Amino acid sequence: MTEPIRAQEITISRVLDAPRELVWKAWTEPEQLARWWGPAGWTNPLEAITMEVRPGGTFRVTSISDADGSQMTTRGVYRDVVEPERLVFDEPAEDAWHEGAVSVAEFTALGDGRTEIVLHTTIRTTDEMLGPAEAGMAGSLDRLAEHLNS
Amino acid sequence: MISEMTVDQLSTTFAALADPTRRAILAQLAKGEATVNELAEPFPITLQAVSKHLKVLERAGLIARGRSAQLRPSRLQGEALKEAADWLAGYRGFWEGSLDRLEEHLRDIQRGTRLD
Repeated sequence: MTEPIRAQEITISRVLDAPRELVWKAWTEPEQLARWWGPAGWTNPLEAITMEVRPGGTFRVTSISDADGSQMTTRGVYRDVVEPERLVFDEPAEDAWHEGAVSVAEFTALGDGRTEIVLHTTIRTTDEMLGPAEAGMAGSLDRLAEHLNS
Repeated sequence: MISEMTVDQLSTTFAALADPTRRAILAQLAKGEATVNELAEPFPITLQAVSKHLKVLERAGLIARGRSAQLRPSRLQGEALKEAADWLAGYRGFWEGSLDRLEEHLRDIQRGTRLD
């Protein structure tokens, strides 16, 4: 049984006191992204940001910790770009445990000058990623079943 | 964020958690330890299938199983579950923190616009 299994999903939403066009620009212009990307305590040098905001375009942001100078790089590919309402981007698997994450950011104008952001991230994994360990288990399982039935 | 985690263990843990039957088994074990037979009762699946789920959970470090040959009762192990939850919390924290700063940034530039 190596069916693809549903990944972890995370949804984060926020209502911002700004019109949608402004929120869109903050997400798509490097000069603005540099001001807010990452949690407090991280600085994003403008020269370490590249963004090609179009389907198939890549982005890369290197952030530097104010505390110890350590670096954190986020990179990915835009999959869908619908100004000013929708951004879809993939983040590649940095390590073995997942096949990558895909995030959908939806920007909704609330009609009163505010904008709601809903960010939905899906982190993909499959049973197959368990690898040989799973296959090696079959024999011992059969013996356990035998034992339970005896 | 990801590089700080023990990714192999997390991979196994998330794969184990992704199955609804395995989550149901964990929920049952949260009430106390149980044997394969007891765990199989509420599910329309074979004992062998439950055993297989238990193996996956055990390898993921989500449960421990007794060594008594006959019954091998299973019980919940908190550590792996905590690690997975911590990773998700870290991811969420990254975005919640970013959106906090975005909020601030938007406030700043709008104030700037009004002053111009």
